[in-house]
Amino acid sequence: MSMQVRDLIKAVRGCKTQQKIREVITRESALIRNSFRKEDKINRPRNIYKLIYIHMLGFPSEFGQLECLKLIASPSYIGKRIGYLGLSILVKENQEVLFMSTNIIRNDLSSEDRYIVGLALAALGNIGSSEMLRDLAPEIEKLMESESSYLKKKATLVAIRTIRLVPESVDRFIGKVRTLIGEKNHGVVLTGLQLVLSIVKTEPETIVKFRKLVPGLVRMLKSLINSGYSSEYDFRGTADPFLQYNILRLLRYLGEGSKKSSKLMADILTQVGTSGGITKNVEIAILYEAVLTILSIESDSKLRVTAINTLSRFLSGRHNNSKYVALNTLLKAVNTEPKSLKRHRKVIVECLKDQDISIRRRALDLVFGIMDKQNVESLTQELLDCLPKAENEFRYDITAKICTAIEKFPPNDKWQIDTLIKVLTIGGQYIRDDVSSMMTSVIGRNPDLQYYTSKKLFNILLNDRYRNQTFLQVSSWVIGEYGDILMQKSEKDGELITTTQALDLFQILLESSRTTDGTKYYILTALIKFSTRIEGHDELIKKIIKPYREHVNVELQQRACEFFLLFDYSEIRDPILDRMPVFVEKEIELEIEEEISENNNKGMNYNLQENTHTIQNQINNIQNIQNIPNVQNTQNTEMNELLMLNTDTKKTQTQNKQDSLNFLKEIFNGSSSSNTNNMNNMNNNMNNNMNNNMNNNMNNNGGQDLGLDLGLGLGLGLGLGMNNQSQRQNQNKMQMQKQQNQNQTINQNKNQNQNQRQVQNQSQNKSQNQNQNQNQSKVQNQPIIVYEKNGMKIEMNFKVGNIRGAPAVMSIIKTTNSSPLLISNYLLQVAVPKTLKAQLSQPSGQNIPPNGNGSINQQLQIIKMVNQKTQLAILLRINYVINGQKIVENKEVSNIPIIF
Amino acid sequence: MIKFILIVNKLGQTRLAQYYTTGLSINQRVALENEITRRCLSRKDKECSFLEFRDLKVIYRRYASLFFLVGVDEEENELGILEFIHCLVETLDRYFENVCELDLMFNIDKAYMILDEMALNGNIIETNKKTVIAPLHIIDQVSKKLK
Repeated sequence: MSMQVRDLIKAVRGCKTQQKIREVITRESALIRNSFRKEDKINRPRNIYKLIYIHMLGFPSEFGQLECLKLIASPSYIGKRIGYLGLSILVKENQEVLFMSTNIIRNDLSSEDRYIVGLALAALGNIGSSEMLRDLAPEIEKLMESESSYLKKKATLVAIRTIRLVPESVDRFIGKVRTLIGEKNHGVVLTGLQLVLSIVKTEPETIVKFRKLVPGLVRMLKSLINSGYSSEYDFRGTADPFLQYNILRLLRYLGEGSKKSSKLMADILTQVGTSGGITKNVEIAILYEAVLTILSIESDSKLRVTAINTLSRFLSGRHNNSKYVALNTLLKAVNTEPKSLKRHRKVIVECLKDQDISIRRRALDLVFGIMDKQNVESLTQELLDCLPKAENEFRYDITAKICTAIEKFPPNDKWQIDTLIKVLTIGGQYIRDDVSSMMTSVIGRNPDLQYYTSKKLFNILLNDRYRNQTFLQVSSWVIGEYGDILMQKSEKDGELITTTQALDLFQILLESSRTTDGTKYYILTALIKFSTRIEGHDELIKKIIKPYREHVNVELQQRACEFFLLFDYSEIRDPILDRMPVFVEKEIELEIEEEISENNNKGMNYNLQENTHTIQNQINNIQNIQNIPNVQNTQNTEMNELLMLNTDTKKTQTQNKQDSLNFLKEIFNGSSSSNTNNMNNMNNNMNNNMNNNMNNNMNNNGGQDLGLDLGLGLGLGLGLGMNNQSQRQNQNKMQMQKQQNQNQTINQNKNQNQNQRQVQNQSQNKSQNQNQNQNQSKVQNQPIIVYEKNGMKIEMNFKVGNIRGAPAVMSIIKTTNSSPLLISNYLLQVAVPKTLKAQLSQPSGQNIPPNGNGSINQQLQIIKMVNQKTQLAILLRINYVINGQKIVENKEVSNIPIIF
Repeated sequence: MIKFILIVNKLGQTRLAQYYTTGLSINQRVALENEITRRCLSRKDKECSFLEFRDLKVIYRRYASLFFLVGVDEEENELGILEFIHCLVETLDRYFENVCELDLMFNIDKAYMILDEMALNGNIIETNKKTVIAPLHIIDQVSKKLK
């Protein structure tokens, strides 16, 4: 015999562990199941009751579903009550069992006992499925006209559910609205209003019809407000707030888009908006709904200002809840009411100091929303003020917002820099990643501010050197980059900043245990830059760098080694460490956007790989030209392989393709570079590759990591990739570097220097050109037939545009087959002059069906790498198999009407 | 529209749960209740009574050892719901005479009935305490007679 409900609850309460509860429930479930099997009618209600409890605890109860049906079919009210309860809790998700209950419910709906009808309606309202409701709609409609208000309101709610699940039934209920709203019983009116709301939401066309209700609703609201105390629906002095705010909500729907209706409700809305107090929750709830209505309907500006003022009153109140809703509403009104919102700046800013994080966060959004050119300085100051007290998570939000503000409305560059320094010093590590790049780009484009900034950062560092890492990184970069300006000008100004002081500071920072390896890269780079900026400190700098040649961190070690070696090659040192070109932020933004949209797989790593790859090519070229023995080459291929291993297969494929492209390029040039000692050729190759590299660097890393940028720039100068792969590879590189350095003549060095300068100029030119080229996308629509043989036809059309800021030509290559034979193993290769870079997408297929029944499409992108007018010429190599015969053909396309 | 009404104790055990949406399996339901309760319980007194959960707003209020949580959609008036919770508690209080956790546990059917009288299908129907309790008193009288 199973136990009483009371005992079960007591037993569960007595359990100390979840395991014990599980045991009790499992035992009891088994007993209940047995009792069900025996058709134990007497205990059925009790068993279902227990199952409801078991279900609430999160244990399975499906086996009781059919028993619920049996219970609701029983004649007694008590049985039905538990049965319906079970139905709405246990059977809720089981549509089949629910559907089986339809007929029983239909019977109950026509019962004479109104409480039984009530039970059936409640169950329908909570769980009725669309099939059930469709079947029972006539009964529901009849019950909505019942004399008892108890049934009327329940039937109306079932009607709302019916409309939601069976939208086409809406017409059935539209006619009922007027009588429902005209009732005296508040419950009926309330459900009537909700019925109108759901009809309006399902069939927006009905709004016009329902606008006739507006005067009545206004009257109703007025009488509610003026009625004063009524014991029945009184909520702490307010007459039926639920009815009030539902009327207001309905008015919102009816007033939207109609000036006439909006005018009709203006008076009452003003009354609600101005009369109510804001001390009690009930009053605020109604005011809040009224404000929402005022802001949504076509109300005049005066009323709107009242609404915003009311919200501002909420903000200065004591209740956190009202602050929360007010901020949420103001956020929605930011775009429509910016002027009146700005008047309440003080109150909004005050909310930034609230104890509740969700309120602070919304206040922050709002502060940002009302920010414009005029108030940006004072508002940013407010944000900075609350930064030190904020918790870490919120700090990040604040700094992010400040940075966006700095970007969006900067009054001047000096302010921008001052604010950025403040963010860096106060924000600590909780700042957005691009703060550092933003800072360097602002300094870079303002020569007047370079001294100011470096001095300021230097002084901060001097007084408190244990700042956060980002600050250390930015300041060492700035001091290193503009060290000469700092020293010269400070001498003139009589400031006491000396080079030794700076070097000491760097040394202390390097040796500090609080400095991370990442920051040390920056400091080392700053040191090596110092050596070219200011003369006569080489020995000291060498001494500082020296120990890092044996540092545990490979990256750091490599940098130190390279930098140390650089001292021996003063001719290349200066150009390598030359002033960084100015960042063009637009380019970076474009790049980032493109990257995101393009492919998520292409992360930083991918770009690095690409860089290293081109650098490897460059090394290849140098070695080929200089006839370095074969041993070197094998080492090289080994390295290439190592690199390949790290890329995914897809990438490897494209690399292979690039290799074959390179091969084609050589054909195009008509000379093979493998055995020639031609300096010019080398120069070309170098130029091309370095150009690639530099562009890639500028584009890909520019906004992301300064240290990496510099590292790659330097690595490039030395013919080295800075990819942190493995110790062994690293050693290889070192070896090669030595050999190369030994082999390189002064002549070459000079060439290299020139190249370096050229590249810099080019990248600057490029950014200028970019703007000109941006809007130049013209479409050359006529396709050119480039190849026609054996029934195969290749057509190309060209479109001038730009890719990543560089001028480019996009082309679609369409290949068709009009011969009666199948063309298979189709492969197209493309080569372009060295000043251009071609990228060919994967073809849409390999085989072309005969008789023009299909085509292969391929996209070709040609990007211009050098800033000079170029006649576009393309060499195609076409491979295919037709009639079992393999055909390989070269075809030069030079009649393209594009000079770019 | 109201999506669910939950009553939990301060240990996070569910004492009453009414969902007005479908499609939640029992495991999902338990997970949802656990997460919401955990987040509600971790909030401080000074924080506001609303929290955002997935695409819902959860409005909660604490009465002694019981938490009343109501999940609503975007349109619902948060402050109105807060008032509704209070109204629900007052009604339960009036019926059970100083409602406590045990009252709800041992009379879960009555608690559900009161709730069904006040809200149905995610809409509020009746907020007059007397009207809500009237049918329950009738049932009580009838069952007394039966005994």
